[in-house]
Amino acid sequence: MRQFFFSFFSLISFISYSFASSSAGYHEQLVLRPLPLSALLASFNFRSNITVSEFEAHNFRFFPRSLGQIIQHAGTRELHLRFSSGRWDSESWGARPWDGAREGGTGVELWAWLDAETDEEADHKWLTLTNALSGLFCASLNFIDGTRTTRPVMSFQPEGDHIDATDANTHLLYGVLPHEVVCTENLTPFLKLLPCKGKAGIATLLDGHKLFDSSWQSMAIDVRPICPTGGECVLQTELTIDMVLDIDRSKRPRDNPIPRPPPGHELPCNTSKPYHSHDTCFPADHEANQDWTLSQIFGKYMKGTCPLTDPTVPPVCLQVPNSRSVYVSDGVLEKKNLDRVSRCFEISPDTNFEMVLPSPSNDDQVVTDALVKPETPLLYAERSFTGHGQERGGVQTILRNPSPDIEVEFIYMESLPWFMRIYLHTMSARVQGSKSDDKSLIQETYYRPALDRARGSQLEVRMRIPPASTVFLTYDFEKSILRYTEYPPDANRGFDVAAAVITILNKDESKTGRFAAYNLRTTTLLCSLPTPDFSMPYNVIIFTSTAIALAFGGMFNIMVRRFVAADEGPELGLKLLKSKLRARIGGLFAKFGKGNKTQEEQDKVTEPGVVESKE
Amino acid sequence: MDGKVTIGRTAGLYIGAAVLRLAIFTLLPGIPDLLTGRVEISTPVTSFKRLQEGLFLYNHNVSPYDGGVYHQAPLFLPLFSLLPNASSYPIFTYLLYIAVDLLSAGALWKIADSGETVASALFTSPRKEKRWNGFIIAAVFLFNPFTVATCIGRSTSVFTTCAILHAIAKAVSGAPFSAMVAITFAGYLSLYPLLLLPPLVLLCYDRQRIERGIKSVIPFVATNIAVVAGIMGLLFGMSYLITGSWEFLTSTYGVQLTLSDLTPNVGLWWYFFIEMFDSFRSFFLGVFWLHLSCYVGGLTVRIRQQPLVVLTLLLGIFGIFKPYPSISDTSLFLALVPLYRHVFPLMRYTFVIAAVIMYATFLGPAFYYLWIYAGSGNANFFYAITLVWNLGQSLLVCDLMFAVLRDEWEVERPEMAGKEIRQI
Repeated sequence: MRQFFFSFFSLISFISYSFASSSAGYHEQLVLRPLPLSALLASFNFRSNITVSEFEAHNFRFFPRSLGQIIQHAGTRELHLRFSSGRWDSESWGARPWDGAREGGTGVELWAWLDAETDEEADHKWLTLTNALSGLFCASLNFIDGTRTTRPVMSFQPEGDHIDATDANTHLLYGVLPHEVVCTENLTPFLKLLPCKGKAGIATLLDGHKLFDSSWQSMAIDVRPICPTGGECVLQTELTIDMVLDIDRSKRPRDNPIPRPPPGHELPCNTSKPYHSHDTCFPADHEANQDWTLSQIFGKYMKGTCPLTDPTVPPVCLQVPNSRSVYVSDGVLEKKNLDRVSRCFEISPDTNFEMVLPSPSNDDQVVTDALVKPETPLLYAERSFTGHGQERGGVQTILRNPSPDIEVEFIYMESLPWFMRIYLHTMSARVQGSKSDDKSLIQETYYRPALDRARGSQLEVRMRIPPASTVFLTYDFEKSILRYTEYPPDANRGFDVAAAVITILNKDESKTGRFAAYNLRTTTLLCSLPTPDFSMPYNVIIFTSTAIALAFGGMFNIMVRRFVAADEGPELGLKLLKSKLRARIGGLFAKFGKGNKTQEEQDKVTEPGVVESKE
Repeated sequence: MDGKVTIGRTAGLYIGAAVLRLAIFTLLPGIPDLLTGRVEISTPVTSFKRLQEGLFLYNHNVSPYDGGVYHQAPLFLPLFSLLPNASSYPIFTYLLYIAVDLLSAGALWKIADSGETVASALFTSPRKEKRWNGFIIAAVFLFNPFTVATCIGRSTSVFTTCAILHAIAKAVSGAPFSAMVAITFAGYLSLYPLLLLPPLVLLCYDRQRIERGIKSVIPFVATNIAVVAGIMGLLFGMSYLITGSWEFLTSTYGVQLTLSDLTPNVGLWWYFFIEMFDSFRSFFLGVFWLHLSCYVGGLTVRIRQQPLVVLTLLLGIFGIFKPYPSISDTSLFLALVPLYRHVFPLMRYTFVIAAVIMYATFLGPAFYYLWIYAGSGNANFFYAITLVWNLGQSLLVCDLMFAVLRDEWEVERPEMAGKEIRQI
């Protein structure tokens, strides 16, 4: 119950911030939340607004100009771009930040609502948009072609306020690149979109070495129109970076980055175990390593605050119980929130901000309260391949509803590459423990089959999972073999299959206006296809042609020639050669020889030739 | 062997074949799905699993032709929709496939009993006494392991086989209209049987000339082609009504013509077009199709006296060189070969052919396993065995052709029987 109130308060405070900010131009905030297993979630959020009239007049102020121009050019109404890597461990870290609304599957994900009269025009604008974003973010977004683009029907709803959201002229397109490796070159353009360009404020903490070394990270860019009642519509850009840092790993000194086992006396041990002594150690994992400083984690101090940011929004917040003490630099004001599990810091623009979180005191009571207990997510999802061999396989998704009394209704979406030929008639959903599949679990299915080399398959399933139960969703697929030029250079590594997107529908009346109560994505999969021998094109062409030539030659040889008895007809082959040789030798004998007798012999020898001329 | 064929023996043969198939279906329930998944039996254009997927999409109002899985004729969809669901009541599907096999055997029996192979309208073999009766021919077909495996694997090529055999049976019994209807069905289901049209029309013509004294060939041919075109138009019209669009044309026949699905099979095309350079792909597709159709004219002219021989040889050639061959095509060819029992003594490489075909039959699945599952071999293993398989089959086709031509030649030169000959 107390947990519920905490989350409720944090929600209230979150909503109050977002309302406060919708009028102001720009704000940024960093929320730090220690997680179990010595992890730390850092959520950076940068939000800038621009009124539609200013946007149309190209008066961009805090809105990133480069992005604004692309959006205008491609007729984009709402844009969502995600760069993610790693895996969110929901078993130990609990619910995802932002209820999963600001994260993508591994790789790059892009979805946008475009203004277009026809599907062809939408495709054309989509091509413009992906190519422009590809250049802006140094990502391979231009590889989002027809085979990687789908038009989701059920899974996505616009987040912003559109006057005519269901208009036929608004097209939703969704593209995903699971193979894309997100790295520093994607962060640099991201920072350039910020008003302070990462030179001041919380963005100074963002460093490629730390961000892409994290256990999980997701960079999100969301552009949406927001129309407050009675006010002018604003176009809001929200840039979000969430990362889960391994505290142990981050605290590794920079000059000695190679991980080595710590010496015995530095091991964090659970001293409450009865067998604990100087040579036995039970690892104290859960609460261990909860002491850190900001500069240890991020490798540097935070350089003041961005002068352009809204001063009413505290730039840094920390979610630890109020009972823990935190030391901060001079000139920083600490404000504990009413919910008792978070506090925020107000920093003057020129202060270098440092924060020290000492390890909780050894008092047992305090240790259990050292962390805010993670919230249980609404659904756990795991997806994996079944079967073996490179011919066919199956996909199995295990969906678990942890709640003891609430049913979960959600939309499960897969966009699969065309070379996975899925057999929808084999799809089944069954509750754990029962043998047969349960028809009532799947409420509705939307399926668009793949077309070879033209588009991927798109599967959206609306499902309902009863409380406290686990459901297995399975289907079979066949792996096709490709032309040898269609394989990537590392063909035997396999092909990445995009994450399944699960959107839990909002049933809660108190959160009206939101389509999704929670989003989550499974991990990506690696599908290995059968491969031909890449060194063989010439050999195969030659061998096959030889086989065909043998058959063709053999057949037409029999067809066009006539039969004669073995001793009839002209001499052929060796016999012909022999007789010709004999004739030639006989001729030589005749020239140098002994006269009429040999002449007669020669006539006999050339007899076959005479026969030939008669024929 | 030469014993009298009584009704009891006939019924026994059919019941035996049906019971064998039913026993495999019911007593070994894993076997049908295993065989359905074998690349040697199921090709992208005949696979039963793909048919089920197409059926599922069709029944759920998704066009099966707007996807990359289903490449079979639209008329299968309402046919199989009438049957109860194949996964919950498989017995009806089994019975349908068994019935189709028995129908094919019946047609084969008729062909054998007509004696067309030993004595056609223009030619009578000097060895005509030495032939097998319909019972043996049908038994060889029904108990051929390739036929049984195709039936158990529920490949839809059995329908094409049945249609082709009925077309031939109707042609030899002097019913050209029925023959044309049957061959149109076969062509509608699989496209390639349309290439059998010239020898089939000649076969009908020869029979008609004896029975009704029709003299001129051109009106006869024109009528038959008009029948084929009419029936084909009708079938396409029905397909259009069933699917509501013409996209089935590209998805069924377009796939065969362009080989866009490169799933391995026993033929020569798949690996060739996997390894082919992109800029030459369309050129070689043209060459391969031209090669496939070049035998029709040559054989029809050369063996004018025996059109059934041409049909047999063409079926053998198609079993090797068509885009998606399977052992089903081989089983159709092997069903017709025993009709030429009288020329078997003239064949020269019987042992080599039998050995090569057995060798490829046993090593093929093993090499496929090594490539796909064990990972200890690569694609070349399976490719090599398909080369051997096809060479063996083409040797059989050549040898049969040699034997038939020699048999023809010995009519002119009866004294040469058993003597050594050569070809010039």
